[in-house]
Amino acid sequence: MSFLINRRRFMQATSSAMVAGALSSASGRALAASAGELRVNFSGGNAGDAFNEAFLKPFEAETGIKVTFIKADFTSTQISMMVDTKNISADVVMLGQTYVDPLAAKGYLEEIQYSNWQKEELEALPDYAKQPNGFASYVYSANMVYNTKKFPADKPRPTSWAEFWDVEKFPGVRALVTGERGGGPWEEALLADGVPMGKLYPMDIDRVFASLDKIKPHIRKWWTTASEVLQIMRDNAADIVQSYDGRALSLIDEGAPIEINRNEAMLMTDYWCIPKGSPNSENAQKFVEFTGRADRQAAFAQLFALSPTNEHAFKTIPDNLARKLASHPDYASSSFALQSKWYNEIGPDGKSNKERLVQRWNEWILQ
Amino acid sequence: MKTIQKRIRSMPILLTVPAFGLLFAVFGIPMILLFLTSVNAPSFSLANYEGFFAQRSYVLILFQTFKISLVATAFCLIIGYPTAYLIAIAGRARPLLMVLVFLPWLTSALVRTYAWTVVLGDNGLINNFLLNVGLIDTPLSLIYNRFAVYVGMVHIMLPMMILPMVSVMVNIDSSLMAAARSMGARHLTAFLRVFLPLSIPGVRSGCILVFVVCLGFYVTPQALGGLGDTMLSTLINSQLTTTLDMAPTAAAAFVLLAMALVVLSMAGVNLASAHGQPGATEQKVRASRFPLFSNLARYINELGVSRRAKRWAGKLYQGQRVTPWSQIIGAGFLTIVMIYLLAPGLIVIAISFSAGEFLEFPPRELSLRWYYSFFNDPSWIGALWNSFQFAVIVSAVSTIVGTMAAFGLSRCSTRLRSSLTMTILTPITFPVIVVGVAVYLGLARLGLVGTSTGIILGQAIGAIGYVVVVVLATLSGFDRRLEQAAMSMRAGPTQTFMRVTLPLIRSGIIGGALFAFLASFDEVIITSFVSGYAIPTLPLKMLENLKQQVDPTIAAVGALLTLLPVVWLVALYFTLWRTRGTLQKTTVNPA
Repeated sequence: MSFLINRRRFMQATSSAMVAGALSSASGRALAASAGELRVNFSGGNAGDAFNEAFLKPFEAETGIKVTFIKADFTSTQISMMVDTKNISADVVMLGQTYVDPLAAKGYLEEIQYSNWQKEELEALPDYAKQPNGFASYVYSANMVYNTKKFPADKPRPTSWAEFWDVEKFPGVRALVTGERGGGPWEEALLADGVPMGKLYPMDIDRVFASLDKIKPHIRKWWTTASEVLQIMRDNAADIVQSYDGRALSLIDEGAPIEINRNEAMLMTDYWCIPKGSPNSENAQKFVEFTGRADRQAAFAQLFALSPTNEHAFKTIPDNLARKLASHPDYASSSFALQSKWYNEIGPDGKSNKERLVQRWNEWILQ
Repeated sequence: MKTIQKRIRSMPILLTVPAFGLLFAVFGIPMILLFLTSVNAPSFSLANYEGFFAQRSYVLILFQTFKISLVATAFCLIIGYPTAYLIAIAGRARPLLMVLVFLPWLTSALVRTYAWTVVLGDNGLINNFLLNVGLIDTPLSLIYNRFAVYVGMVHIMLPMMILPMVSVMVNIDSSLMAAARSMGARHLTAFLRVFLPLSIPGVRSGCILVFVVCLGFYVTPQALGGLGDTMLSTLINSQLTTTLDMAPTAAAAFVLLAMALVVLSMAGVNLASAHGQPGATEQKVRASRFPLFSNLARYINELGVSRRAKRWAGKLYQGQRVTPWSQIIGAGFLTIVMIYLLAPGLIVIAISFSAGEFLEFPPRELSLRWYYSFFNDPSWIGALWNSFQFAVIVSAVSTIVGTMAAFGLSRCSTRLRSSLTMTILTPITFPVIVVGVAVYLGLARLGLVGTSTGIILGQAIGAIGYVVVVVLATLSGFDRRLEQAAMSMRAGPTQTFMRVTLPLIRSGIIGGALFAFLASFDEVIITSFVSGYAIPTLPLKMLENLKQQVDPTIAAVGALLTLLPVVWLVALYFTLWRTRGTLQKTTVNPA
């Protein structure tokens, strides 16, 4: 019955969606060429909602540019095909940090025009955020996360990756990220093996896998997506896992008995990039500049725990919230940054370190 | 019009032209280009293939992909054949059973995979039950291993195995079995020597469908399997994200296709074999393949002849009687299969009523909030409507084009039929991610990326394959003499088709259309490439939700998708199955 009642609304909503679909398909290019449009890509979920509030709506209000939000994860292959076939369906895309350089090297990305930015904002931004072909507006981290029922405050808790590897002192069901896409528990494996945070790179791949050999029998699940590991934690199917901090925080806010260990956290970034030949590249440049502003980053960080890159942003964030963020100054000495440069270094055999890791991973999992 | 009709009659192969034209334009040309990429054209070298086979892990994963697909297919067959048989002889309960087989397919595979973690997990239903009863002290490792992969894959593929078998079995004339029994064959013998050979085309097409689709699996093994349970598609997927060089990826994809073709040609894709008397050839093959065995069996048979002859005379006038035991066993078996098929869907429905922010089972509190969240969100409703429209158009297009092609194929020489059928199946044989890349390249060339037309074409090429397989299987059990009889009574070709052929193969066509509808409605990978994310469809939206923020909206969508079709399947029953029943009666009775 409820379906029948909802039919009218159903028809209204869908017929307008149809018209919109038909319009965009019939005259996609013509529309895109006019000055007032921009298609921005970012993740969906809670993070997407926060992004919409903190960036897209204010940007629309300030510039009058009509923004379309594309919630999706683009792969490098999709971006290269978009550019190759001159069929660009997003003007600003979000890319994981290790994906930017290979695409830029092949000429798939526009350069970011930092010359138009306000000097004051530009100076407040660290160098790693201001890459020639991409700009990072937030930082997040990969951390160790444990169940507080399994590891209560009055008993010893695992604090380092070496202790994560110590299955006798800290018994419990464990989960780590899969390595099949090039990123993986590599840095953590080295830390567990005694390599100090400052000397991780260049990574010794043999040592990485020797260390992983030790933990392999004790890992219950090698997870693929962040939502997967959260669901495992949520179902009490794991006691101690590797997870991204923002995702874990959303569980903690839900009241789940989980705590994040910020020691030996790996800081990571995503970059805003503009595919080469974007029909709205001018608006795209404006938008990327917009994401660098301290007030916007502060607003975003308060809606979803992704940490600002602009150091002025912390001024307006209340302290209790700021402590939830990966790049809070207090955590600086206990974290390290992922070096995408090493991942993309090409060896004498023509393979990047990232490709080498994937290849090694595929052999390792079958052993 | 007349000349076209004439030409088609003289060369039925022309009926396949629309299907192949579509396939070639959307998929064939870019596949050729991809192949050229894989051999490093224009310099032409096998470096990428050598590179593939030089990596031990690739070869092992290739082998493992085959093993997993083969075992999953075998499980589907072992469970599916008796199920299909019981459904086919179920009489009035058949439509209901068919609906039950279909239901799980309507819930997204992604959501059902999650439901399995609820059942098999360390804190899952089975472990909790066993712990509470006291049978075990520590949870059993039911998940994140090969066993869980098979449970999940067989669950997803089982309907695809059952449907083609039922559509063939339904068309097996039950009087043949009765005839065999009246000649003294026991139930089992009649089954083995009459029913089984006649049902082989359905078995074959079911196995082929299941096997080829299994080859391309990667979400389920990834979610339910352990570290080593990787399939080749996972590898190809990771190659696509880690490197921009398409050549090694293309090579890996063609290796997978080549291996699939080898296996398929050994199994024989001869879907529509031996018109008229399919049983005769099958019987010959069976007898000649196991000469020793059949001689022995015949010898043993001879020993009991006199006793059986006596019994036969006594039984002849008792009529057909099914023993209560066989009925109970049959019902019990069907119940277990149905529980297996339906439990994950029911769990999803239960989860959809939870009040919490995350998926939880059993829900601690009940609410409809996730249904409100679905119906109040125009983006969900819009995506649903888009998907529905695409699925209707895709199933219409592919049913027409696919049925024509199946007709053309069923009337050409066996060898040609095999290779053409194989070609038409490539969009589903190939790892779906590579099909996505190829279709994207093909449609981008035509300027159709990001358009509705593009999505429909991209989904149709796969859907046509499903229609062809199912219709071809039905056609193989089809007695062409009925058509000849109609023609001899001065019916024209159109009239013959409408009044004789169509009614007889209708269940196959409806089955094919349903497959096509669902294939389109559930398609996510190809659509994600082709839509350029400009046109949202329901699976795309669900995928985004599952990747980013799992909340029970997705369970609500799953529940709605499961429950709504019940309504239209019931409607379908009243319009189609009923009329079909009367039709069969009228066609059988005069004979």
